[in-house]
Amino acid sequence: MTSNRSKNGTGMIEFRGVNKWFGTLNVLKDITLSVEPREVVVVCGPSGSGKSTLIRCINGLETIRDGDLVVDGQRLGDPATNMTRLRTEIGFVFQSFNLYPHKTALENVTLAPIHVRKIPRTEAEKAGRELLAKVGLADKVNAYPAQLSGGQQQRVAIARCLGMRPKIMLFDEPTSALDPEMISEVLDVMVAVAEEGMTMMVVTHEMGFARKVAQRVVFMDAGAIVESGTPDEFFSHPKTDRSRAFLSKILRH
Amino acid sequence: MMWQQLQSIAGSYPLALRGLGMTVMLSLISLVLGTLIGFGLGILRTGGNRLIGGVIGAWVDLIRGTPFLVQIFLIFFILPELGIELDALTAGIIALTNLAACFICEIVVAGIRSVPTGQVEAALASGLSRWQRMRQVVLPQAMRIVLPPLVGQYVLLIKDSSVVSAIGLTDLTRVGWLVVQRVPNGLLVFFLVGLGYFIVCYPLIMLARRLEQRMGAAHGEVQL
Repeated sequence: MTSNRSKNGTGMIEFRGVNKWFGTLNVLKDITLSVEPREVVVVCGPSGSGKSTLIRCINGLETIRDGDLVVDGQRLGDPATNMTRLRTEIGFVFQSFNLYPHKTALENVTLAPIHVRKIPRTEAEKAGRELLAKVGLADKVNAYPAQLSGGQQQRVAIARCLGMRPKIMLFDEPTSALDPEMISEVLDVMVAVAEEGMTMMVVTHEMGFARKVAQRVVFMDAGAIVESGTPDEFFSHPKTDRSRAFLSKILRH
Repeated sequence: MMWQQLQSIAGSYPLALRGLGMTVMLSLISLVLGTLIGFGLGILRTGGNRLIGGVIGAWVDLIRGTPFLVQIFLIFFILPELGIELDALTAGIIALTNLAACFICEIVVAGIRSVPTGQVEAALASGLSRWQRMRQVVLPQAMRIVLPPLVGQYVLLIKDSSVVSAIGLTDLTRVGWLVVQRVPNGLLVFFLVGLGYFIVCYPLIMLARRLEQRMGAAHGEVQL
């Protein structure tokens, strides 16, 4: 089914001439971008360039003004598209984790499978424990978010998304709120998810991650996609002044 | 003379118990109904429908901005003019329930709005329906904020229930008025009436204080 779509030139995520405004500010300018199934795309760019807005549009946390955005074959904003159902196919990892503070790690992971997917509780809990073990938190199953470090919370958040067995995972600066020593434990989990063939869009400045697993790096500035290419092309031979300026800033440290 | 008055007052204890019973029953029914309706209104008001939210907001403002005595008179004396016959008890319950619902609605709205948007976005992103988001994610977190002022509001409403004596309901306050006609010692009689209210309210005051301390501590823990 997915290969059919690829043949028709329709990716898992398709932006065609997408525009968005916040008031008079044109935050997404004529975005055209196609993400193939199993592809990992890293989105980078200076702050305020529209990268978070870009991926927040994909699961409808933001709405677009014009252009087409087709996700898993369904056009967003189309009355025939059930947004709630489509969201169950899209995992979203937030910069600030957004774990439910009144629920344990396991309850965070099982909430949506039980209530949305209608999976029996015992089965959901078994799967939840396995997922938490997979992200290295087998011993934190009953811990509350407040009892976990930032890196642990973000790993729970990733397990929470995986619990829904999504087709797409979106990451919005998943390591930006973390202390430096916790970044790699989260990136390791993300690499593992990517290697299992998940379709991913990742807003991040972690260039090591991009080199390791991304097929493509998209560079945004002032709401537009300025440059797009393989990590190697982008990092070694940036084509525009803006991307060179950006890279010199983030790679200096 | 004081002794005689005390004896006379003691003799009216069945009346006093009836009054206390009326106050407790009226408060209990109105607070339970008012809490249910208040939560419903609060959830509807934050639900995103501007018309519904606006209508509820206007009604709450109207009720909060007019004296309870006037509201009770309107319900008890005006509704029968429109062909709706009400006994004093029903009128009292309706008026107090409405008042409770409006104040509780405000408390619930404040609680719901205190839940960070990130929580709603996380619930939204995992495909929870509107009601599931409310039930599983927003309300449990809002309750931490809501519970202490809610119990505090109960205390205020129990005291406000004394206003129903104005339409002839024999609650604790009206018992005071009746007794004072036989025992001409207003200070003593209304001291005892006040004591009656205090005995009902004090446990709730203590509960509100304990909840506030517990929520305060728990909330500190949750800060990320």
